[in-house]
Amino acid sequence: MSNDFYTSSILPYAAIIIKICRAYTNTQQDFEDYYQEVCLQIWKSRNNFQARSEWSTWVYRLSLNVSMTLLKKQKNNRQRLASDKLPSDISDEPCIFIDDSLEQLYAAIRQLSEVDRGVILLYLEEKTYQEIADIIGTNPNNIGVRIKRIKVRLKKILDGKIN
Amino acid sequence: MEKSIETIWKEGFLNRDALIAPKVNDIYNMKSIHIIDKFQKLFLINIWGIIIGSSLLFIASYFAGALLAGSIVLIMMLWVAYTAYQELKALEKIDKGQSSYTFLKSFKDWISKSIDRYGKMYRVVYPVLILVFYFGIWFSDIFAGKREMVAANSNDMVFGLHIYTTIIIIIAAVLMGIFSKAIHSKDVKTIYGGILRKLDLALAEMEELRDEQPLS
Repeated sequence: MSNDFYTSSILPYAAIIIKICRAYTNTQQDFEDYYQEVCLQIWKSRNNFQARSEWSTWVYRLSLNVSMTLLKKQKNNRQRLASDKLPSDISDEPCIFIDDSLEQLYAAIRQLSEVDRGVILLYLEEKTYQEIADIIGTNPNNIGVRIKRIKVRLKKILDGKIN
Repeated sequence: MEKSIETIWKEGFLNRDALIAPKVNDIYNMKSIHIIDKFQKLFLINIWGIIIGSSLLFIASYFAGALLAGSIVLIMMLWVAYTAYQELKALEKIDKGQSSYTFLKSFKDWISKSIDRYGKMYRVVYPVLILVFYFGIWFSDIFAGKREMVAANSNDMVFGLHIYTTIIIIIAAVLMGIFSKAIHSKDVKTIYGGILRKLDLALAEMEELRDEQPLS
């Protein structure tokens, strides 16, 4: 991956990648691995971008897909290793934001399903229902209902924790 | 008053520290180590397969009345397993701390050298196995009836062996010896093909990455 490509095509959209990767990881180490993997996949798939959508939309889509895939792989590995207490699981530095409320919100988002995490992240990024549906690959009519349900769930999880 | 999630989100990211991108570096480290770990596991399974298979064959040869042949096969296969174990030890010595590219390159070199060493060993092992199987089965107790029947119906016998069949088997053994390296190479591709393809892909990608400017 060239420095130029990273600076011009990834770094301006790093915020998107960071926000998504944080929602799919619990530790700083995992977050960095996910971030690197997303960057690498963007670089590898750059020729597949056909300018039908904005570059930023494509980055959202790719970041979500990569994060969901990595999370699935990680879950499978953890299931296989369920009997072994890995020291890295215990000693890994957790993801912590300076803003406590944001940390609580992320902790709540991490309790959602993989797809719901994607939907709510896109909603919080002020994407339209149509854009969310395009990125996730679903019907825009379902998005509104889904967001309402997710918000209720998040409110329940966060109830009393944030003022 | 309780904040909405939208407000938490907006306010949380007002702090620039929340959006500091980690450094992108050495991305292939984990992947390359994973490829070799997978190979080592398969290699170890293969060694155990050889030991268990040849032991079962040895037991079967005892019941078939071909204990000598069974013993020779067992010794040959234990030699193969021991060599494989030594190769595995050499593989474990590859330094995982070096760059991913050098790491995978070392692994690829190890595979080439290993195929070469095995090729030389199989130059002896393949012909011996064929001949031992042939002679072992032919002279085994369970084959006594057939042996007598062939001897009664054919004049082409020497030392209790059918000449033409024996010549064909010897030719096959010699050919196996000559082409041992190619046969072993094909074996490796059959067993480890998936991993080797991944290795080639990873190396090709890294070479592409190396051609461009590295990330600072």
